[in-house]
Amino acid sequence: MTGVLSLEEVSDTSVFGSKAVGLGEALRAGLPVPTGFALSGPTVEAVAAGDERAIEAVTAALRPLGGPLAVRSSAVDEDGANASFAGQHVTLLNVPSVEELPAALREIWWSANSDSAITYRKRVGLFTRPSVAVVVQLLLDPDTAGVMFTQNPVTGADERMIEASWGLGEAVVAGLVIPDSYRLARSGQVLERRPGLKRIAVRTAASGGTFEDEVSSELAERPCLSDMELDELHELASRCEQVYGPARDIEWAIAGGTLFLLQCRAVTRAGSA
Amino acid sequence: MAGAPVEALQRVPLFAELSADEVQQIALLFKERHFSRGETVVREGSDGAAFFLIESGEAGVSVAGAERESLRPGDYFGEIALIDEGVRSATITATSDLVCYGLTFWEFRPLLLENGAIGLKLLQSLARKLRAAEVT
Repeated sequence: MTGVLSLEEVSDTSVFGSKAVGLGEALRAGLPVPTGFALSGPTVEAVAAGDERAIEAVTAALRPLGGPLAVRSSAVDEDGANASFAGQHVTLLNVPSVEELPAALREIWWSANSDSAITYRKRVGLFTRPSVAVVVQLLLDPDTAGVMFTQNPVTGADERMIEASWGLGEAVVAGLVIPDSYRLARSGQVLERRPGLKRIAVRTAASGGTFEDEVSSELAERPCLSDMELDELHELASRCEQVYGPARDIEWAIAGGTLFLLQCRAVTRAGSA
Repeated sequence: MAGAPVEALQRVPLFAELSADEVQQIALLFKERHFSRGETVVREGSDGAAFFLIESGEAGVSVAGAERESLRPGDYFGEIALIDEGVRSATITATSDLVCYGLTFWEFRPLLLENGAIGLKLLQSLARKLRAAEVT
């Protein structure tokens, strides 16, 4: 069915949203993105409505992926309207298998159609019906994860800014920890290395979903990235800029010693959204 | 089968003038939505996007902090938001795991635009409600 494509095949933002297309571009460029699929807005809507044929088609297409799964929204107008839907559309991590995918898609559909999402849409001048496409990927179980700006988002200085913490990157994104922060020159030289206080690691729960795991005090203060890993992140930043252009906002994770790109988007400066 | 149960929707005064076939058309537009115990379903003062019919579970209602009668399966709320997108007049919180059928105005309005007969009957229901309010 055309409403379900492997990420490598995705190129139409009006159907699959900017997040899915960005990951498709990354895979075609050889960047290390976890394998996955994109579901179109109408497909997500049909599954959320309980359409048996759509549910069967989606679960059959995605079953080879296995599990557990990370299910993220990829709203088709996220970037086109100068609006960020971060915090409006949910991401569901650790969906155990495709059998639980219909319920996850229904939850994501409702997150785009909730009172708060509709209020937000009106506030930013969006009066059209929301269409929410979805990216489904194998969920990583990372040792370390975080975010990286390929250019300083505040000063505009030509340097890499990296924030990192133990476990899933949600600890950094949601502000649950004081992450380690690193500043790298464009040459890759480490300019600054500031250990954070990472008392919590977000990890996958055996029953699905995630939980906040307490981190030992020794580990909480220990830097979570080695020089070699900083080199790899610097290399990833360079490759992302080659593919997408300058000033990128990257989410990354290191699992089993391998660095993965989870998301790469244009830097949004404070006050511009 | 997808959609909300027709018999439950026929008890909603806004839909009282509609035929069974017309209610069936509306019922098919509903999507199931699950809330966990303690989750806020709608918040007083926020813009309303959807009408909900409770399938199972219970929900507490409060207005300006004062508790009101709780909601049970078959109860519904937010139907006028389908018409005016007005603000929520109460906060509703799931007091158990809650399953609702929900219908957003995005999905409801195209049906009204395509089917003038349904629109007219809804107007009649609203007019009746308005007259009743004037009497009291």
